[in-house]
Amino acid sequence: MLDYAMQRRIELFLLEEARLLDAGQFEDWLKLYEPQGIYWMPSQPGQTDPLNVASIMYEDHAILSMRVQRLLEARALVLTPMPRTTHLVSNIEAKEAEDGEFTADAAFICVEHQADRQRIYSGRHAYQLTPHDDSFRIKLKRVALMNCDGVHSPMAIPL
Amino acid sequence: MEQSATLPTPDDIKSLVRPDHVHRRAYADPAVFALEQERIFSKLWIYVAHDSQLKKPGDFIRTRLASYEVLVTRHSDGEIYVLQNRCPHRGARICMVDRGSSKIFSCPYHAWAFRPDGSLASVPHRKSYPENFSFDDPSNHMQRVGKVALYRGFVFATLNENPEPLLEHLGPMTEVIDNLVDRAPDGEVEIAESSFTLEYRGNWKLHLENAADIFHPSFVHSSSVAPARRAPTNASILDQDQTRLMLAANGLGYEEWEGIQLNGYAGGHVYMNNIYNAGVMVSQKADPVAERYRAALTARHGAEKTAQVLGMNRFNNIIYPNLIINAQYQQMRVTIPLSVDRTMVRIHCFKLKGAPDEMFHRAVRFLSTLGSPASMIFSDDVEMLERCQQGLARDVGPWIDFSRGVGQESRGAEGQLSGAASEMPMRVQFQAWVNYLTAEAA
Ligand code: FES
Ligand SMILES: [Fe+2]
Repeated sequence: MLDYAMQRRIELFLLEEARLLDAGQFEDWLKLYEPQGIYWMPSQPGQTDPLNVASIMYEDHAILSMRVQRLLEARALVLTPMPRTTHLVSNIEAKEAEDGEFTADAAFICVEHQADRQRIYSGRHAYQLTPHDDSFRIKLKRVALMNCDGVHSPMAIPL
Repeated sequence: MEQSATLPTPDDIKSLVRPDHVHRRAYADPAVFALEQERIFSKLWIYVAHDSQLKKPGDFIRTRLASYEVLVTRHSDGEIYVLQNRCPHRGARICMVDRGSSKIFSCPYHAWAFRPDGSLASVPHRKSYPENFSFDDPSNHMQRVGKVALYRGFVFATLNENPEPLLEHLGPMTEVIDNLVDRAPDGEVEIAESSFTLEYRGNWKLHLENAADIFHPSFVHSSSVAPARRAPTNASILDQDQTRLMLAANGLGYEEWEGIQLNGYAGGHVYMNNIYNAGVMVSQKADPVAERYRAALTARHGAEKTAQVLGMNRFNNIIYPNLIINAQYQQMRVTIPLSVDRTMVRIHCFKLKGAPDEMFHRAVRFLSTLGSPASMIFSDDVEMLERCQQGLARDVGPWIDFSRGVGQESRGAEGQLSGAASEMPMRVQFQAWVNYLTAEAA
């Protein structure tokens, strides 16, 4: 089991990610990712294969940065008016992995408010984290949306 | 759908469409929608499934045909059936998943069980049913609906008792199905298991119009075009620059429009030539994956036919009223109307049998980038479709404009041709729409 201090540091890191998204600080959010880091939102429950099965998102830093630039463009139609979100991250279980790296598993809820509608997303996050200075960088974030294979309307803000 | 309102008359329908304008009621009047369900979605051949989803007996797909929820099944006789997803006993919906495989469809309520052709296989406690209760009585079966016909693996169904032959309905659009299948070195395509389902709050025709509209991308998609243009090339480790190229490709300038040709046919079918030629899936540049793929295709077809197959460069082939195929990107969209202002869109991609696995990985990525709910492209389109519906739902400014390029199209024997800036495709779709809705009852 992780010592309490390390568990707490990882928790605070995940909470920081949520706060940056809610604050619309998307460029700072992207800085939490390794240059080779990947954000993955599968389209199927339990999906293990991102190559042969389509994903809602499967993006590395280069593609994510275009996404972030788009969020900052303020011209993206899905972002007018800009959605307001509350990301809740909870049930965090962090573990030590190999080579001084860490994994973290968490449940999330995101409430998104925009114009005349409110949406709720929920599911589980699975992280691979690598220590960086006195914090961490994300090598992989897998967002297992509870209704990943359901009927969707457009999603604007990363979860 | 309950049919309470009286249906519009042919004169009423005709009064909604002028040569270059359409009345908002075409998108917002539930009675018009009811007539569309009866005269278009119940009379034309409607794409319902692909052969490759129904490989073995018991395989099934759940979808919609006109206002019915149906199961498209493969029976043990090898035939494909379209069945109402409804138990004949008390009417319960039987199947609650979109696809699967089952030799028996068992109703959860009182456990009547049906074979994939709809016939009744068993009822529990047989002896308590009356003497004359018959397993052969069709009213005790899951009801078969419509006729089924296939074109090269694409399964179409119709409720029309007396439909025109499928080939006649498809007309010149068989070429795009041929082209998709011919791109497979083994001569067969397979629909990928993963797909996306989106629902938008707008009329189904808005989606078909969006897919035929080359005028909008540089405006609607500018928020992803600009970042893609600024981004460094080949920076992604995941996709050979495919996503960036695709986002950037929507930034069509007026000069690029000049090379694009729009094609519209009498049945409402539409496609466009020579748009977006830069993606890795159609790149002419040397690329080890594309090389291997070309070699495999040449081994099957020979050099000349291969060049011809890969040379067909069409985007958004719209097979009226519900299918959109992009052969060179191995993609397909199905438009399923739910109500006058709600539409479901299913987005699929295909595997070309015999092609390198990496070709399929590229198609999967194309699907994610272009068709996922988080797509930086399609999400903006959907937003516009919903805003159109919001504006059309109100009884103000009843006439909407389709006049761009009117009179500038050229007319061939089979259909019309125009430049990219023309709204000819929508005018063609609406001519077909009026014809279908006002046709003499068969
Ligand atoms: S409703 Fe299906 S068996 Fe009774
Ligand atoms: Fe678009």
